[in-house]
Amino acid sequence: MLRHPSSYRDPSGFMYKENGLYYRRINPVFFKEYNQAKSEGIYQKLFDKGWLIPHKEISSSDDKIIIQPEQLGFITYPYEWSFTQYKHAAQLTLRIQIFLLENDFSLKDASAFNIAFHKGKAIFIDTLSIEKYKENTPWRALKQFNEHFFGPLLLAQKHGGSFLKTLQYSINGIDLKEVKRQLNFTARFNPIIYSHIHLLSKFQDKNQDETDENKEIHLSKASQIKMLKALEQHIDAMTSVENTEWSSYYNEINYQETSFQIKKELIKEWCRDVNAAKVIDLGGNDGTFAKELLPQTDQIIVSDIDQPAIDQCYLNMLRSKEQKIIPMVCDLMQPSPSIGFHNSERDSFTSRVINFKPDVSMALALIHHITLTGNVPFEMSAAYFAQLSKYLIIEFPDRTDSWVTYILDSKREARHLFDGYNSSAFAKAYQKEFKLIKSEKIQGTERTLFLFERHER
Amino acid sequence: MNYPFYFDAGLGAMIAQAAIAALAGFVLFYKTVIAVIKGWLGMRKEKKNGSFDSSYEKDPENN
Repeated sequence: MLRHPSSYRDPSGFMYKENGLYYRRINPVFFKEYNQAKSEGIYQKLFDKGWLIPHKEISSSDDKIIIQPEQLGFITYPYEWSFTQYKHAAQLTLRIQIFLLENDFSLKDASAFNIAFHKGKAIFIDTLSIEKYKENTPWRALKQFNEHFFGPLLLAQKHGGSFLKTLQYSINGIDLKEVKRQLNFTARFNPIIYSHIHLLSKFQDKNQDETDENKEIHLSKASQIKMLKALEQHIDAMTSVENTEWSSYYNEINYQETSFQIKKELIKEWCRDVNAAKVIDLGGNDGTFAKELLPQTDQIIVSDIDQPAIDQCYLNMLRSKEQKIIPMVCDLMQPSPSIGFHNSERDSFTSRVINFKPDVSMALALIHHITLTGNVPFEMSAAYFAQLSKYLIIEFPDRTDSWVTYILDSKREARHLFDGYNSSAFAKAYQKEFKLIKSEKIQGTERTLFLFERHER
Repeated sequence: MNYPFYFDAGLGAMIAQAAIAALAGFVLFYKTVIAVIKGWLGMRKEKKNGSFDSSYEKDPENN
């Protein structure tokens, strides 16, 4: 039984992995709560709403109950979500809490890590967070909710998407005093922001010594629901300027519609040739090319450095009810590291991708950014891609390509350092890691598409 | 709750909730009044495509 390294905070139970599958063990201390939620149909109602990861009970004994949740194909962490994904994760947490209160239950914590994106939408994955509601008690997870969700969302709205990465460097959420400091003076005139950030941050240092120990803190259920509904409505209305002003990258590309179509067809054909069921599109922008592969694949991760593009990808998915795409924000020059205690609570991007076992990695219109902007030698990028999957479809824009020319010109007197950037040097370096299966120049462009197969290891 | 809690919920945060809820009551009342007035003026809010609720609608697996 291999306990998941992040599953140690809650004494109610823990996640573990056995024979490649995840299970949840419930400890006797939580049996009563679990059985109550089960007998009152709470889990089932949440499954029906699509809000809670479905599970089945595998075994039950005096010392443990084992449940098996539906398995996630790939998990993305809060610091890899786009603005709307983050918002929806926050809303889901609040909606669940409101639903539970209405049924005399409650969430005992509100960590953003309790949410995953599964089959295209946010889903709550911490089954043991659900406990019986104690009449007239306030929500003890409110502060945590604001530290994990509302604070980062407010800062991302005000200062940009980089604040959505808050939990990467602050795994337990952002201090509300810090949020307050970074908001405008006028933010305090909004009653929701004032109460959840300014007021809470003022109260957060109050400790037990300053109050009557025997004094119970009361809040009626109706008041709590009102508080959560107002907060949820506020979050629902939040927008991000950088996201609303985003314009499609593909409106600015340097090739014609026919070339674009040719590229799409080649990718579809090559993925079919290698029977690609799982694909990762690195630098996949708004998922335009991933979408083309949907009929012939099972799951596609679309990762991109551009948060608004990933947001667009997610919104497009919601509109089309698409379930196979997993959108995530990721800068390949600094992909998410493994974080938390022992550096093992949350796995790194690269390690998760390797475990996902994609059949094909796609790197379209990416190599010139990595090589010329990021200064990564071909040998190093080839070695990186070779870790990820057996097959690689990679687009190489030649020196004559207008984007490449633009980047090279920006190097000014250091331009000569990039004299080695050319198709033959690229192909030679990549063939140390891969076998070249085919390559084809995309008609009407200065770009060539390559299909590589990793050398047997 | 039959076991010790495993993270600091913040005593102050618990106390502050009465005040937060009172403000929320005011906000919800104000929003309801505005929505009614907008309704009279025929300014009905369109449901956003790609909203939280739309993502859980018509899900064949959950119906």
